[in-house]
Amino acid sequence: MLYLVGLGLGDAKDITVKGLEVVKRCSRVYLEAYTSVLTAGKDALEEFYGRELILADRDLVELKAEEILKEADTSDVAFLVVGDPFGATTHSDLVLRAVHAGISYRVVHNASIMNAVGCCGLQLYSFGETVSIVFWADDWRPESFYDKIKKNRSMGLHSLCLLDIKVKEQSIENLMRGRKVYEPPRFMSVSQAAQQLLEIIQKRREEGEELGLSEDTVCVGVARVGAEDQVIRTATLRQLGSCDLGPPLHSLIVTGRLHPLEVDMLRLSAAPDALTHLEVGDSSTHTCPPTTLLDA
Amino acid sequence: MVNFTVDQIRAIMDKKANIRNMSVIAHVDHGKSTLTDSLVSKAGIIASSRAGETRFTDTRKDEQERCITIKSTAISLFYELSENDTAFIKQGINGNGFLINLIDSPGHVDFSSEVTAALRVTDGALVVVDCVSGVCVQTETVLRQAIAERIKPVLMMNKMDRALLELQLEPERLYQTFQRIIESVNVIISTYGEEDGGPMGLIFIDPVVGTVGFGSGLHGWAFTLKQFAERFIAKYAAKGNTQLSSEERCKKVEAMMKKLWGDRFFDPETNKFTKTNAGSKNTQLSRTFVHLILDPIYKMFDAIMNFKKEEAATMLEKLEIKLDNEDKDKEGKPLLKAVMRRWLPAGEALLQMIAIHLPSPVTAQRYRCELLYEGPGDDEAAMGIKNCDSNAPLMMYISKMVPTTDKGRFYAFGRVFSGTVSTGLKVRIMGPNYTPGKKEDLYTKQIQRTILMMGRYTEPIEDVPCGNIVGLVGVDQYLIKTGTITTYEQAHNMRVMKFSVSPVVRVAVEAKNPADLPKLVEGLKRLAKSDPMVQCIIEESGEHIVAGAGELHLEICLKDLEEDHACIPLKKSDPVVSYRETVSEESSQMCLSKSPNKHNRLFMKARPFPDGLAEDIEKGDVTPRQELKARARYLVDKYEWDAGEARKIWCFGPDGTGPNLLVDVTKGVQYLNEIKDSVVAGFQWASKEGVLCEENMRAIRYDVHDVSLHTDAIHRGGGQIIPTARRVLYACQLTAEPRLMEPVYLVEIQCPEAVVGGIYGVLNRRRGHVFEECQVMGTPMFIVKAFLPVNESFGFTADLRSNTGGQAFPQCVFDHWQILPGDPKDPTTKPFLVVGEIRKRKGIKEGIPMLDNFLDKM
Repeated sequence: MLYLVGLGLGDAKDITVKGLEVVKRCSRVYLEAYTSVLTAGKDALEEFYGRELILADRDLVELKAEEILKEADTSDVAFLVVGDPFGATTHSDLVLRAVHAGISYRVVHNASIMNAVGCCGLQLYSFGETVSIVFWADDWRPESFYDKIKKNRSMGLHSLCLLDIKVKEQSIENLMRGRKVYEPPRFMSVSQAAQQLLEIIQKRREEGEELGLSEDTVCVGVARVGAEDQVIRTATLRQLGSCDLGPPLHSLIVTGRLHPLEVDMLRLSAAPDALTHLEVGDSSTHTCPPTTLLDA
Repeated sequence: MVNFTVDQIRAIMDKKANIRNMSVIAHVDHGKSTLTDSLVSKAGIIASSRAGETRFTDTRKDEQERCITIKSTAISLFYELSENDTAFIKQGINGNGFLINLIDSPGHVDFSSEVTAALRVTDGALVVVDCVSGVCVQTETVLRQAIAERIKPVLMMNKMDRALLELQLEPERLYQTFQRIIESVNVIISTYGEEDGGPMGLIFIDPVVGTVGFGSGLHGWAFTLKQFAERFIAKYAAKGNTQLSSEERCKKVEAMMKKLWGDRFFDPETNKFTKTNAGSKNTQLSRTFVHLILDPIYKMFDAIMNFKKEEAATMLEKLEIKLDNEDKDKEGKPLLKAVMRRWLPAGEALLQMIAIHLPSPVTAQRYRCELLYEGPGDDEAAMGIKNCDSNAPLMMYISKMVPTTDKGRFYAFGRVFSGTVSTGLKVRIMGPNYTPGKKEDLYTKQIQRTILMMGRYTEPIEDVPCGNIVGLVGVDQYLIKTGTITTYEQAHNMRVMKFSVSPVVRVAVEAKNPADLPKLVEGLKRLAKSDPMVQCIIEESGEHIVAGAGELHLEICLKDLEEDHACIPLKKSDPVVSYRETVSEESSQMCLSKSPNKHNRLFMKARPFPDGLAEDIEKGDVTPRQELKARARYLVDKYEWDAGEARKIWCFGPDGTGPNLLVDVTKGVQYLNEIKDSVVAGFQWASKEGVLCEENMRAIRYDVHDVSLHTDAIHRGGGQIIPTARRVLYACQLTAEPRLMEPVYLVEIQCPEAVVGGIYGVLNRRRGHVFEECQVMGTPMFIVKAFLPVNESFGFTADLRSNTGGQAFPQCVFDHWQILPGDPKDPTTKPFLVVGEIRKRKGIKEGIPMLDNFLDKM
């Protein structure tokens, strides 16, 4: 049996009781360590679970999955995923391989950023497509996430932006040479993400395009959701461009149409003047319209 | 010994209209260096009596020993044109003193890259042709390059002494030979030149204009029609007893020159020129060139060589030749030399031809700028180059590195095209990979010293204005081989040089004593700097590879490496050639590869190029920098590409410029442009190291047919796409009947008829085949042209010599790539063996990888 166990977001103790039982019972336990990171380290987990964990990096999961599935038909193997196994990162490929190999599987769910983001006060029902904001390189500056946010907003939906993390990534040169030399880990902060968005807005404005969001759009930056020191900051995009929410992991939410109750919740974490741009549409909605071309 | 000072030179450097930058180019053994000596002797650096023996520009010991030029060498000469002659110059001038920067270049094909480097910094070329052998393969190669760089040629018909003494040609036959050589040169000029000569105007050579010299470099004499025309005019003018102004004199001389070539005849009875050879008394007239020019020379040769002392004495008197006392006692050849040198001094004739007919930097840079400069044609740098303005921002091109006496350090040698370079100036040093606005391959440093380079000597100089050739100290550590030096912040690079040969022969080297490895690595770095062409590569397996244009080139490089650069004993492998990987069919199936996370899928196919496209890319007719529409139109017109696809070329590869293409034929795929860079990176990688044996690919077109992508950007980054692109490209290659290509030389062999049979035998044993065989007109020599695989060429020269009694001399030039017949996957074929050897040598897994390593199922 292959168990996919969600670990939740905060620390070692966020694992569910069922999950913990599985971990204690299995012959091998893998910890997936490249799509997200737990605030607590591997050592803390091992100490709390009272057993040894095998670190599974991208190479192992994507290229050597057979190793994980070895003997899983006769014994139990657990695959631990930070958040929920079918949350932000889906491990469908592993499940498909298991099924093809005649191995049954079971999932132990847990909280993921995809639902925990509700903590900021925005309703999960009103979220649109989730997007990732990736680190820009010198000559690689994709902007597709902006278009998706714009699309969400045009339908009045909020956008959850997951921010790029690079753990154990090879530089292109090392990748080509087949050298297993990895770059130091990098995590995108809310301010970096906001700055990239601001750059795109500026560029689109110069191109004369109708904007989907502007510097004054209300956004929410969250950091270390689920942990003791979690931070929620509601502010305009411009304000977030220069904020510091501390250590990783960060996420960013761009708001769509806001329900009065959502606005009330946002006020709890709002920076001064953050909500002054809100326009009241009717009794039940507030919006933050993009500044028109004329303003620029 | 030096009869001009650096200060004098510096003064004339500012008179840009009076500068002539020129190279001397020719086939090997046509007498360039020897001829150059007579120019040097005229400009007074070495004593005149030693001209013809010294090879002043062959500065290296091995050059002197082998009597072959290996490195191009620059010298500056100072020449004063007589007041009368300035009227002949059709471009602006400033006084009558001329600074001639001359570069003597090697003639052996293996060192063609030195010629390329020389041509870049000069505006004119003295093309030397041995009038006995005629236009040879290397004459054509260098002339073609000169024309492509917009270098104006003048011709020197050399080794007339051989024609007279050894071949004993009749004067009329000799005239015919000259005429034929001039025609062949003009054919080359018109074949490779631009329509109507382009912005340079017509550059055909013509004795009547004075752009053809005749003579003997070895004996130190030469003339153009101008010298003889002047003599006749002087005679007539003396009769009329009038003092001609220099303009009138010039007109008369030019008119006279027209009468001295072609079907113009002279009737001694009536003293008149006619256009037919029928004389007034039914006599057969000889043409003016024969009668008035060749006959006196022949008579002089006859009188002196056959010891007719009295006849000779009368002739000397008539021609007003006064011999030195020491020469008077000479007889035979030495006397002939002394007389001819007095009568028709080579230096005078050639320097006049150079000063009058070659362009000054002011003239040349105007039309060369667009070829030299990559940036916009109207920025400050371009305007500085076009106007040859010494007050504009500095633009200088470094064309090569010259070793100094200080081991491991080099002078950066090049030409100032705009502005002024001076000692202590802070400049931007931009290597060939620099792109404007980025910091890659860019250094900002001070120039330690500027120097003048004169053959074996260097002289420090304070500063050098544009239009001149100069050496820099302290720049060498920032440039590998070539680069641009500028003071202009927004400057683009000067265009890199295109070589006519490529480094196809390679040798692995290692230190005999493994502890010497650091010295070897340092030595390889220095070697790479000192030669414009040689490549020093470290393979994945840790092997150190030296790649050169041919066997001789490699031999010299390795000798330099061992004795000068690394100074350690070396072990050298047998030479091996580089191969190319290509395909012969379209991929038999649509190839699919999935990314490691399985969320992204690439669908592609490969197919071979139509014939000629790979060559067009290598020649630069189809390039990545070309304007998109123009390139598409070219591909549609010439190769019947689909017009839509021709506009969707993603890139060239390997290295962004190579002869393989990646084309987007997808329809309506979202986010495709976000993975384009990753696919391109995978393509560069794959085309550099093909699947067969990690050699470069050639002449393959890859089509991206379809792509399915994860919706989220984070799951389709480079880490996912680059390796996937490479895998799918390999799958495409394997399913498209992959083939191996080998380099092939064009061999030109000169020999007497008797040994032609022996040549065929040697060529047959080495998979070579003859495609042309002809007699050189007017000589008993034969020229055999053949194709020979480079891989079979090692030891070819020695083999040929031993089979022909040393009478056949081959010249090998890289000509083309040719498919090695047979399927590399079939163990009975030659390509299979070759692939096996290469893989073994490179230390990669044995056997071509199986298709299922790269191809994924739906």
